[in-house]
Amino acid sequence: MTGLRIALPAGTLFDGACDLLRSAGVARIDAGRFDRSLRVEDSGSALIKVRPSDVPVYVEMGAADCGIVGKDVLWESVRVCYELVDLRFGACRLVLAAPEASPLARGDWNGALRVATKYPEAARRFFAGMAITVELIRLNGAVELAPAAGLADAVLDITATGETLRANHLVEVAEAGTSTARLIANLAALKTRSDAVNALAATLRRAADAVPGAEGAA
Amino acid sequence: MAAVDGDPRNTPVPGRAGGFSDWLPGAAGRRRDLVDTFVRVFESWGYGLVATPLVEPLDTIAAGVGAARQSQLFRFMDADGVLLSLVGERTVSVARVVATQLQRAQFPLRLCYAGPVLRNAALLDGRRRESMQAGCELIGHAGLAADAECIALAATALERGGVRGVQIDVGHADFIPSVLESAGLDAAAQRAVLGALGRRDLVAVEVALEHTDMRDAERRLLLAFPTLRGGREILDTAAIGLGGERPRRAIEQLMELWELLELHGVTSAVHLDLGAVRDWDYYTGPTFEVFSLDSGFPLGSGGRYDSLLERFGFPSRATGFVLHVDRCNDVLTRRDGSAAAQPALRVAWDGGQYDVALSIAERLRARGVAAVCDLDAAGAHPDAETAVHVHPDGVHWSSHGTGGRGSADSAVDALTGSAE
Repeated sequence: MTGLRIALPAGTLFDGACDLLRSAGVARIDAGRFDRSLRVEDSGSALIKVRPSDVPVYVEMGAADCGIVGKDVLWESVRVCYELVDLRFGACRLVLAAPEASPLARGDWNGALRVATKYPEAARRFFAGMAITVELIRLNGAVELAPAAGLADAVLDITATGETLRANHLVEVAEAGTSTARLIANLAALKTRSDAVNALAATLRRAADAVPGAEGAA
Repeated sequence: MAAVDGDPRNTPVPGRAGGFSDWLPGAAGRRRDLVDTFVRVFESWGYGLVATPLVEPLDTIAAGVGAARQSQLFRFMDADGVLLSLVGERTVSVARVVATQLQRAQFPLRLCYAGPVLRNAALLDGRRRESMQAGCELIGHAGLAADAECIALAATALERGGVRGVQIDVGHADFIPSVLESAGLDAAAQRAVLGALGRRDLVAVEVALEHTDMRDAERRLLLAFPTLRGGREILDTAAIGLGGERPRRAIEQLMELWELLELHGVTSAVHLDLGAVRDWDYYTGPTFEVFSLDSGFPLGSGGRYDSLLERFGFPSRATGFVLHVDRCNDVLTRRDGSAAAQPALRVAWDGGQYDVALSIAERLRARGVAAVCDLDAAGAHPDAETAVHVHPDGVHWSSHGTGGRGSADSAVDALTGSAE
């Protein structure tokens, strides 16, 4: 019984978010509950299912009090929210990867680099201060195709298992970041509904820590 | 509604700059009323209204605030090559006025302002680029009574403006920095933790603290950061186990401030928030933010900024606050619905009685009743929305379901009597 409006991310983190809320006893939900409606009420909470990149939008504007979203989405978001808890599931890494036979894959970073990515903000932060010239090419999907198609020299992309990289003959050159799911909260909600928000944070933190192997799942 | 790809035969609709709003009759009136109410309350507490330009030299703004506050300004160059900026807030302008034109005024000096501010925010993010702010500055007093007065005044202004049930979170800008220092963190670690707090990234705060040596009391306190809120009792809880003179001084100041707020009778709306995240380079003492359950954004904020006027060559202690009028207006709209324009009484006439109608309308206005006089003669029969109909043989009137017939005088008396 939280009385809160919680935004959940559709996509790869959705099942994990539902599992965590269920195991924490916050709401008895599973993915099937959202088949007919993207808004579900359970145990006093209102849950909405939105695109991952829209979770911080709903939360910043106060249309949701809290949200569950990947850190990778927060890297790119200009939205101002509290990031309260590392929920530990949905682990993945942001890596710079290059074609197997390229100079970059052999550790040769010289010259200018064209990098395709869905994460321009994280890329800017990663390359800032490095003594190389990087031209970023923002793509919206299938980034791993870019080197083979001659669009870019390398990609900066998310990987969980490395399978996609291998299938496209790309090798990891450097790690630029790690991401897990996070609990975020609206600026005013943390103050005006602080008991409920802090209780939710504590409950989800306990539930996340109780998941076997949550430590170092990356 | 036009189709997205439009119809070339139609006249193009003139555009409105993105992120800016038009305010139609009703909504514009309520927004104006809110500003007027706030300023009247400020003036009744002895705060003199100052009006400052919409534009300031970029140098002035840069001298007044840090780089973080300069991003998202609309900047441009005038014919002389001077870089100018539309103001993003007005405290710096008021500080400039005080430091350059009011040095010989009687201090403490109480000033207030109201006006639009502009922000060059990205489009399509749902945030306003132009918004209305009203605020107060109390300059030349170092005591906590000045901070308490500002908090009480903000609470009173919101109450008079009809923005009820607000919550005021009072914190201290020096508390967290002083805890970090007294816990023995080196400068780089302090910057890392404050930076993470400034980004409101509490996961990064945890990570930063994991890699530092510090006593358990301070670590627990900092990790419990969002829960360090409550009434007077949290100050005692926080004081336990805290080493160091500086954090204790911040706590003692909040204790004294709480007592002053009790004298003002506003503590029922006040929470103490030791974990308040504010601009640590700007604020130097107590700070506060105003929240409502009906808004995802603070309705107002303020605090002590003792170092700002010094940057303009006029060292002086100061505290103040700003109210975000448009967010307050949003709360009122969410609770009460959109404001309807107040219709004026309509005075119709026929049979060459325009002169009588004009004089009736003028007398209604003189008594404070909005009246509009028909420009053309009406038909012989008054229609439902007509308040007054002037015939050659007499005046008919109706208002709020009652009506009558008689002289122009009796019509004016009846309509203004019922309005009073």
